[in-house]
Amino acid sequence: MSGIQQKMLLLSGIVLMAMSAIWTVLTYFNQQTQEQYNQILQRYLRMNDVSNLSGQTVALLNDYMLAPDEGKLIAFHRAKERLLQARNGLEDLRTPENDITLTNYMNMIDSLSETADSVILFIKQMNMEQSNKRFDETARISKYLSETTLDLMNIDLNTYDEFYRSMIEKSSALKQLGFFILGLSTLLLLLMAYWLSVSITRPIMKLTHAARELSRGRFDQRIEIESNDEISFLAKTFDRMRININNLISEIQHNAQLESELKENKLRLQESQLRSLQSQINPHFLFNTLDTLSKKAYLEGAEETSDLIASVANLLRYNLKRLDRSVTLREEIDVMMRYLEIQKARFTERLQFEIVVDEALLHIRIPSLTLQPIIENAVIHAVEPMEEGGTIRFRVHGDEERVHVEIADNGAGMSESVIRRILEEHAEVEPEGHSTGIGFSNVVRRLRLFYGEEDIIDIRSEQGQGTTVILRLPRHGGMKHDTQAADRG
Amino acid sequence: MRKLLIWLLMAGIAVLLYFTLITAYRVFSSDLPVPVQKEVHSDRYRIVLISQDLDTPFWSEVERGALEVVDQYGVSLEVRGSFGRNERDFLNNLEIAIVSKVDGIIVQGLDTESFIQLTKLRATRYGIPIITIANDVPANESLRRTYVGSDHREAGRMIARQLLSDMGTAGKVILIASDHGEHFQRERLEGILEVLDQQAGMQVELVTSAETREQIARTVNEVLNREPSTRAYIAVADAFAGVIAQEIGKRYRVEDFFIYSFDSSPEMLTLLKQRKIDALLAQSPADMGRESVRLMVEWLEGKHLPLDPKGYFTDIRIVKAEQAQ
Repeated sequence: MSGIQQKMLLLSGIVLMAMSAIWTVLTYFNQQTQEQYNQILQRYLRMNDVSNLSGQTVALLNDYMLAPDEGKLIAFHRAKERLLQARNGLEDLRTPENDITLTNYMNMIDSLSETADSVILFIKQMNMEQSNKRFDETARISKYLSETTLDLMNIDLNTYDEFYRSMIEKSSALKQLGFFILGLSTLLLLLMAYWLSVSITRPIMKLTHAARELSRGRFDQRIEIESNDEISFLAKTFDRMRININNLISEIQHNAQLESELKENKLRLQESQLRSLQSQINPHFLFNTLDTLSKKAYLEGAEETSDLIASVANLLRYNLKRLDRSVTLREEIDVMMRYLEIQKARFTERLQFEIVVDEALLHIRIPSLTLQPIIENAVIHAVEPMEEGGTIRFRVHGDEERVHVEIADNGAGMSESVIRRILEEHAEVEPEGHSTGIGFSNVVRRLRLFYGEEDIIDIRSEQGQGTTVILRLPRHGGMKHDTQAADRG
Repeated sequence: MRKLLIWLLMAGIAVLLYFTLITAYRVFSSDLPVPVQKEVHSDRYRIVLISQDLDTPFWSEVERGALEVVDQYGVSLEVRGSFGRNERDFLNNLEIAIVSKVDGIIVQGLDTESFIQLTKLRATRYGIPIITIANDVPANESLRRTYVGSDHREAGRMIARQLLSDMGTAGKVILIASDHGEHFQRERLEGILEVLDQQAGMQVELVTSAETREQIARTVNEVLNREPSTRAYIAVADAFAGVIAQEIGKRYRVEDFFIYSFDSSPEMLTLLKQRKIDALLAQSPADMGRESVRLMVEWLEGKHLPLDPKGYFTDIRIVKAEQAQ
């Protein structure tokens, strides 16, 4: 990961490297030129040295001639020694161009020294005429030396002419190069700085944009940043945060929905409790009255009426007592039979009932008041509106896992939408007029809750052919909580 | 806007990069041409050729001839000289050569006391051989090794003979010489007189003049005034013939006169072609250069010992007007 810091370090590193490289090269080059220049300058200095030394030697010789003494002689010899030393150094200055002149030059110095020596000799011999003559010669040689020095310098100037010109040319080129490099590196630096700043600020701008979107409540836009520095890390984290918030919000919405449903259920529960309370207003009074009516009818010889009234009383009692607990299938069938007896008294021949029951299956547990509302539904829809009456077939059979309870009628049938609404437990489809006040949807809900399965009930219907309701009850299972259910009998 | 700026920046960088590379190439492409210490022939013989007439065509020829053979013999030759006959410079050059302890000096002979002193005393002290060239000095006085150049006495004879054959054996001839009286002039005069004196009918008059053009012209005019009938002139000194022809031309038809010269410079050749002068003596300066170097080298190498003190003469010949066409 190349972080912003690394990018900046890299940039400064590159700049530093480039600058120092340029500096090194230019300095090296300058130094080289300087050295060469110095070398050449040294040549002139050495030549000039020789010329000066010869003049000095002659001057000292002259001094000595005017008034000979040891000190001056020593000074002269010292000067002469230095001249000869300088002469020996001249060998280094030899080039093809100055070959002859340089040899001449060096020989001239020898001549100068020899002639000067002979001057000293003649002075010591007191031969003034000869010594003066020789001194004149010495002075002339010194003059020639100066002239030849100029010649040598001239030759050198010609020899190095090209060198000087190219050096001047190069140094001006070097100066130009310096300016060009300065300009170039300035522009490059500008460009690089721009790129760097863009590479930093562009992701930040994107991030800012994304943050603004987020603050406006749009959580569904992905945040994508294609760089590999801290900003992209920030962006990824930000994106994850967005996703989390998104999830949280949908969760909250879900919860809120659940809560509202719960509230609704609570309300409904309260309502039903109220209703059951209402229906319990004075059940004992009602039962006692019905009992009295049943005895009275029996005493008056109307046995059938007495039975009927007893059935009604039992049914009512069952209804009021057992809503919250499970019972065996057998008990349910008993209650159902009582209800049918009452209805049979009402519809007489119009109501035909067929029942086939596998006795071995009647011990399974089932929520109370599940069969009666279904039968009641069948009676209401398949028998009541039909002038010729209807047939209700009740069958209990089973396989390894399940007990199948079928209630079939031959009425007008139900429409597809009604079936769907019943299975989706829509309470409003309940028609009024049920004796128990418990509708089909209520039965479906209670069955599903009791067994913890959705696929517990099936309704098949064909228009004009009748309706079959099939309960598929598991042999084992069912609610455990029925033991806790309060007996509100 | 920002895009545009970026593009401008890029363009600037490209342009600057171009110039930077160009300049860098200029700076770094070639090293400075420092003259390298090549092989130096410091062990070669150093021979100096000294003249005081380096500006004349004659001496250019001598120089050319000498330089031609330098490589052949493997010696280095230095030509020193002054222009326009400056005796002082000439002697200084000679002295410089002597104190430079060159291996050999080839010098234009100068018939003066200082020259003789210098060659005799100084050069001998340093043990430097001297060969005179073109103009000789008396051998016994200067201690020169030898002389290379024209035989001036013979040259005088040849001109005199040419005069006789052109003009006949009777008449008067004016010899105009330089008042320097150099050795070679004396030789020429002697050669001329040697021939002419044999002819009883020949009258000879010697006139001398300083070497400036005005002086020569004045002298010629004097002679013309005094000797209007004389038709023959011999310019013994080199530069004189031109002035003589010019001055005569102001009064007479130059073609009628017999004018002779020892000078073979282009000026003289032009006059010869115009038939303003009748014949001149051509020397072989290039040969002198070549020969002198050869002799010097052979002497230095000990191959040619001793050198003939009489001298080694180079070819001379008469060039007549007809031949110059």
